[in-house]
Amino acid sequence: MTVLKKTWKFITSMKFAVILLIVLAVACSVGSVITQNQTYSYYSQQYGERGAAVIVALHLDDAFHSWWFIAITSFLCVNLLLCNILRIQSLINRTRKASEYETPDATFSEYPGVTDPEGILRSLRMPDPKKDGGRLVSNTNTAVLWGAWVCHIGVLLIIIGFALGQMTHREYVAYGVPGETLPVGDSGLVMTIDDFRIGLREDDTVEQYTADITVFHENSDDRQSASISVNNPADLHGYRFYQNSTGYAAKISISKSGEPIQENILCAGEFIPVTDLPQLVIYLNAIYPDYYMDPVSGPSTLSGKLVNPAYLYSIYYSGEILGMNVLMPEEVITVEDYEIRFTDPQNYTLIQAKKDSFTWLALIGGIVTMAGLFMAFYLKPRKVQAELEEDGTWTMYNKVYKRDTLFDEKMKNAVGGAGQGGSDAAD
Amino acid sequence: MQLIESVLFYSTIGLYFVSMIMYFIFVAVKKDGVAKAAMILQCVGLGVHTAAIVFRGIAAGRLPLTNQYEFATAFAWGICLVSLIFILKFRFKILGAFATPITLLIIGYAAMQSREIHSLMPALQSGWLGIHVSTAIIAYGSFGVSFVISIIFLLRDKLSKGGFLEQHIPKKEKLDLISYRSAALGILFLTFTIITGAIWAERAWGSYWSWDPKETWSLVTWIIYGVYLHLRINRKWNGKAAAIFSIVGFVCVIFTYIGVNTFLPGVHSYK
Repeated sequence: MTVLKKTWKFITSMKFAVILLIVLAVACSVGSVITQNQTYSYYSQQYGERGAAVIVALHLDDAFHSWWFIAITSFLCVNLLLCNILRIQSLINRTRKASEYETPDATFSEYPGVTDPEGILRSLRMPDPKKDGGRLVSNTNTAVLWGAWVCHIGVLLIIIGFALGQMTHREYVAYGVPGETLPVGDSGLVMTIDDFRIGLREDDTVEQYTADITVFHENSDDRQSASISVNNPADLHGYRFYQNSTGYAAKISISKSGEPIQENILCAGEFIPVTDLPQLVIYLNAIYPDYYMDPVSGPSTLSGKLVNPAYLYSIYYSGEILGMNVLMPEEVITVEDYEIRFTDPQNYTLIQAKKDSFTWLALIGGIVTMAGLFMAFYLKPRKVQAELEEDGTWTMYNKVYKRDTLFDEKMKNAVGGAGQGGSDAAD
Repeated sequence: MQLIESVLFYSTIGLYFVSMIMYFIFVAVKKDGVAKAAMILQCVGLGVHTAAIVFRGIAAGRLPLTNQYEFATAFAWGICLVSLIFILKFRFKILGAFATPITLLIIGYAAMQSREIHSLMPALQSGWLGIHVSTAIIAYGSFGVSFVISIIFLLRDKLSKGGFLEQHIPKKEKLDLISYRSAALGILFLTFTIITGAIWAERAWGSYWSWDPKETWSLVTWIIYGVYLHLRINRKWNGKAAAIFSIVGFVCVIFTYIGVNTFLPGVHSYK
């Protein structure tokens, strides 16, 4: 056998599929154990310098998008595809053969001396047999032969649908407070947050986050509105909009020598430079809605209700920190001639917009996989045939599929005698 | 309502425990009547367990399938249900002696968890919750039974030297087949769990697959059982090797359930 033939045989073999599956399982485990998409310093802290170097060199920091992970999955797809193509003819032959009388071999159990084969078939709930002279053949659930094949097609569709989705999907996030109009990334869409509500239960736990949004194209007046909440996204202008998360924001007012010069909405975690002195930057670290100074852990909040807000801020000048403190609503930060205030604390909403044109393909793959598994596991293939002997009795044969000896036991009970053979699998 | 649930929950543990002891006595004294009593106790235990879960649901005002305690008790319920089905279907009484300790271990883990009732966070308020988690319970229960049968398979030669056990433990070929049937049920339901989970994740988190540790380990479990199915086709690999793989698969199931929640927090880490 040439090397080429050997290679072809290997890549179309089940052995290769099993090796790839095991390697894929190991790769997934590694990817789940190592925290993904962190900085080099994070890995060096966690695993030491050498560990971090290995992680980055082997792309273990982004394992599920690494070249080797894609290679394993691609090989698996090629193997699945080739195996399925090569099996078609044999499956067609087996399907055709299933309804025909077969010369009994080791895959059949034999039951001689039967006087009423049709009665036994009825007692086994087998379909009426096909009669051909002194031969009877009754078979059912032939489709099961295609179960694994269908399942493999389903898995292929899932992988292809997922891969195409990953390559072509577009995803943006936009966040703001009610009344704000924001661009949705570079999609050409603009979104207005009409309202944002947090539904609370009596015990103050959050029941639902709901945002009312209006979406339109930059150059068009075709407005589409929807109310979105967690688990209830909306499809607007070809994108699906999700209520993703929330946080606190406040209005920042800056004045110079008593004259207002700037007013903006600042979300916690954002910074803003002073317009006429860009070296001066205000960073809003956090907003505490129900402020409480914990003597041990520092600033904290007693609840999620906006009853006693306080602002943790930092001020930088030319990249150097000038100070960091907690500011109460009535307090003012003074830097030279500038006065800075935080007011109107409120919740902002983070909205995710996504377009994945291949989700349907993965979904169909999932349904096909389920159908294939159901065919393979729960449609039981049965084939019972009988041949008339010279003495006027019949010899019945039961084909034992997939080492399923349970039906053979029923057959044995129905015939009332011990069968012979049939211990090997016909698959 | 919670008090009733507590009484029913601890009664369940008591009933499963007595049932386990009866199964052990059955193996020791070799009397079929004892096995029958053990099975009846297990059935009663399952009934009381079902009532406990129902009362939990009434007390919480929702499906009781959202935290470690609730899932663990449902997981034990799933193993008990599937094992009873297999005991009755295959007249395999001795399976109870191996399945009830596993059921007790899982329900014991549930007893160690916080049993406080919390309101559902918005992401969990979905019709998919019931379908996704209940199919996971059947899948995990089936894998648990396959695991138990695989252990019996490996121990069979050591256990069944006497005539009684020889009579009550099916032949290795049949054990392999029953284990396969149970694993097959598990794979079908696990696939359904993963698909329904993906549909739900798409609606709740905006992505049907985001390599969250729970998702990833469910996939790892699915792959391991996929390998088991492929290896089982090969005659050289059936029997002992398949049994070992079924055991490895169940270790993955346990890691997916307990290990991931403990060591690899992600979006599935609901407390």
